[in-house]
Amino acid sequence: MKFKGGYNVLLQGKPDGAVQTMPEPDKLYLPLRSERFQFSSLAVKEGQQVQAGDVLATDPDNFDIPLLAPRTGVARLAQAENHIVLESVESLSEPTELDEREILHAEQKAGTGAAKREALVRLGAWQFLYDAHTQALPDPTGTPQAVIVSTISLEPFLARGDVLLHMRLLNFTRGLEHLQSLLEYQPIYFVIPKIRSEFADLVRNHIRGYAWVKLLEIPLIYPYGDFSILARALELSSGNGPVWAVRTEGVLAIDQALTLGRPCLTRTISIGGTGVVSPTHIEVTPGYPLKAITDKYVFEPNPRIIDGGILTGKVFGAETLGIGTECRGITVLPELKEREFLGFVRPGSDRSSFSACFLSSLTHRIRERLTTAMRGELRPCVSCNFCEEVCPAGISPHLIHKYLYRDLIEEAAYARVDLCVECGLCSYVCPSKIDLRAQFTEARRRVEQEKREAREAKAREAATEEKSV
Amino acid sequence: MKLLLRLLDKVRPTFEDGGRLHLLHPAFEAIEHFLFAPAQTTVTAPHVRDPLDLKRFMSMAIVSLVPCILAGLYFFGLRFIAIIVVSYAAGLTVELIFAIVRKEGINEGFFVTGILFPLIMPPAVPLWMVALGVAFGVFVGKEIFGGTGRNLFNPALVGRCFLALAYPAQMSGDWLAPATETGGRLLKWVDASHLDAVTAATPLALAKQGEFVSTAHMFIGNVSGSIGETSAVAILAGGIFLLITRVGNWRSVFSTLVSFAILATILRHAQPDRFGPVLWHLCAGGLLFGAFFMTTDPVTGPVTNTGKWIYGAVIGATTVLIRNFTGYVEGVTFAILLGNIVAPILDEAVFAVRLRRLQSEG
Repeated sequence: MKFKGGYNVLLQGKPDGAVQTMPEPDKLYLPLRSERFQFSSLAVKEGQQVQAGDVLATDPDNFDIPLLAPRTGVARLAQAENHIVLESVESLSEPTELDEREILHAEQKAGTGAAKREALVRLGAWQFLYDAHTQALPDPTGTPQAVIVSTISLEPFLARGDVLLHMRLLNFTRGLEHLQSLLEYQPIYFVIPKIRSEFADLVRNHIRGYAWVKLLEIPLIYPYGDFSILARALELSSGNGPVWAVRTEGVLAIDQALTLGRPCLTRTISIGGTGVVSPTHIEVTPGYPLKAITDKYVFEPNPRIIDGGILTGKVFGAETLGIGTECRGITVLPELKEREFLGFVRPGSDRSSFSACFLSSLTHRIRERLTTAMRGELRPCVSCNFCEEVCPAGISPHLIHKYLYRDLIEEAAYARVDLCVECGLCSYVCPSKIDLRAQFTEARRRVEQEKREAREAKAREAATEEKSV
Repeated sequence: MKLLLRLLDKVRPTFEDGGRLHLLHPAFEAIEHFLFAPAQTTVTAPHVRDPLDLKRFMSMAIVSLVPCILAGLYFFGLRFIAIIVVSYAAGLTVELIFAIVRKEGINEGFFVTGILFPLIMPPAVPLWMVALGVAFGVFVGKEIFGGTGRNLFNPALVGRCFLALAYPAQMSGDWLAPATETGGRLLKWVDASHLDAVTAATPLALAKQGEFVSTAHMFIGNVSGSIGETSAVAILAGGIFLLITRVGNWRSVFSTLVSFAILATILRHAQPDRFGPVLWHLCAGGLLFGAFFMTTDPVTGPVTNTGKWIYGAVIGATTVLIRNFTGYVEGVTFAILLGNIVAPILDEAVFAVRLRRLQSEG
């Protein structure tokens, strides 16, 4: 395994190892949009009584992935834009289990494997799977060339793998067995951190018995846990078929779905960052009111609340009222308040930098109290090469930036901007404060679009040729 | 500090569009951002940024030059301060004019050029020549290419090259002998009118006549030469600091010095009576200064690490060739400018190979 670049951004607000339960809410706000999904096809009517585990809506573009009702309650469709609101929520309601006759019917129709996959989709476990190369949802009926199971989440601050795995190791290995039963002979790569700790040793011992699991130990450097970085390090080329990837919570959801036949209705997310009172993990249902969480944990008067980590997360829009189905953590940062006087001439024993331009690099690496400040003016690229040094994808961000500056999209495509994993490190280290990540996201979109248009044009051509023959 | 910030906020409208002094907005902005960190915040991910900005980046380069500046003051007297002031004043004027025309901020890169230039001047240089040289360097070497980050040549070296070709007598004729008294010339103003302080030749010029100054003297710096280049120990102190901060990349420095040393060793072994010893050559002239402070300029050197190795080799080898086989006594300026020319080609070649290899990835 060979990795390139990578860097750990150190900031205050690392979540501790505990998981707190939040008080049961009386109203849930389920967003109809998440990072990958758009639950546009509604399955409930206004005012309809739903049971926990019922399908509220599905995403027709993503193999009908369902949005499940986390609790029993009354569905309201028009109360908040782009949300389904569950009113008069009953606490601790038993979720509906899949009807056994239904399973039997599915098995007779399509075989055991297909029935299992259907159950995974129906019970909300399939949404935890990713295509390692595209990060999209893989086809539940497809066959992967390999599966990557990762317990690592390195971006500050997403829910920690060890916290998710703790006390659930047996469920986890059972989930792995279920996952294996979906495959024929394809390998499962199990990724754990290369560290010595009691818990890590326990995990190693547990996995040792499974001959079909290939254990991979990787250094804890962001973003080596990224699925496409892992797929490339394992030399799993996208030309040889899809690579499925799943994290700890996904394996646990698979276990719950296939062992108990129960939907996955809660998730453990992190709440961390500089603006949080006591950074920790919380167990919530999707749709849990965002305000209830921030009221409890955020002390900053003017915070930026981010869905995800500080390097790749999106700011929660003002219209978002509840936790989405794909949320893995909430990061809170204070907005910049005070402009520093003569900041650039200070010795800098209190700041942590990729370069060695501050006093702190002589002593020890510190966790800094970061804000959203840009910390410098936008300047032209000076070719310092820092972005290339941190880039985990092995591309040259400064070169692609210069192409894009001149609008040379084809050259950018040739320089493989599509390999960018959008980890955000190049933007982070850039002393000229160039927003490389945003530029590359845009460029990748354009490259993808042009490729699609070319494919479609080719298909049309072939069709007309066929007709003429 | 709040008072100062309030004052800045109060006068800001005068310099913004529609204000009376809006033409001077770059100057105002430079002063404001010198005093206070900018108020901009991130908009999208990543939501936090590294504390390093271009101001800090360039400050580190200036800090690394402090030993050379102090050595220059010690050996050549107070006149050096006047040279620095003139260099900054003339260069900033050009920079400001271009900032106004281009409606961009004043780039920090100039502050390094403004101090590098005096350090590569002969100590007896007339002040008007300093102004002319730095203005030419900034204008031709940098601004017409589009400013910091887009320039092809090191502006300080372009300025020096221009002066060397336009005024060869003043640039290589009269040199000031360094201070020999204890305490140096820290409180003295010495220029070319002090006849007892004027000497005809630098160590390299003397070497052409077969006379070698002791290496120990060149290491300490009490020999004649350009202001910043004489003291090897000061250059090493500052240069190593520059490499440690990672503002300067060690590869080009290392490659320049090693290629120089290898070629000089070969020559020395071939004809010991004609060519000087290697260590002597390493300490002589502007080689160390150029290697540590000129080849490390990220803008005018190659970006890629492979490119940096070759770049250094080109500069080191060219320096040896110019020093030993041409009419010029010193060749570092020309060698680095030549390196600047090949740098983009080297990058191009490295990228061509790298991108071809990348095509099969993923």
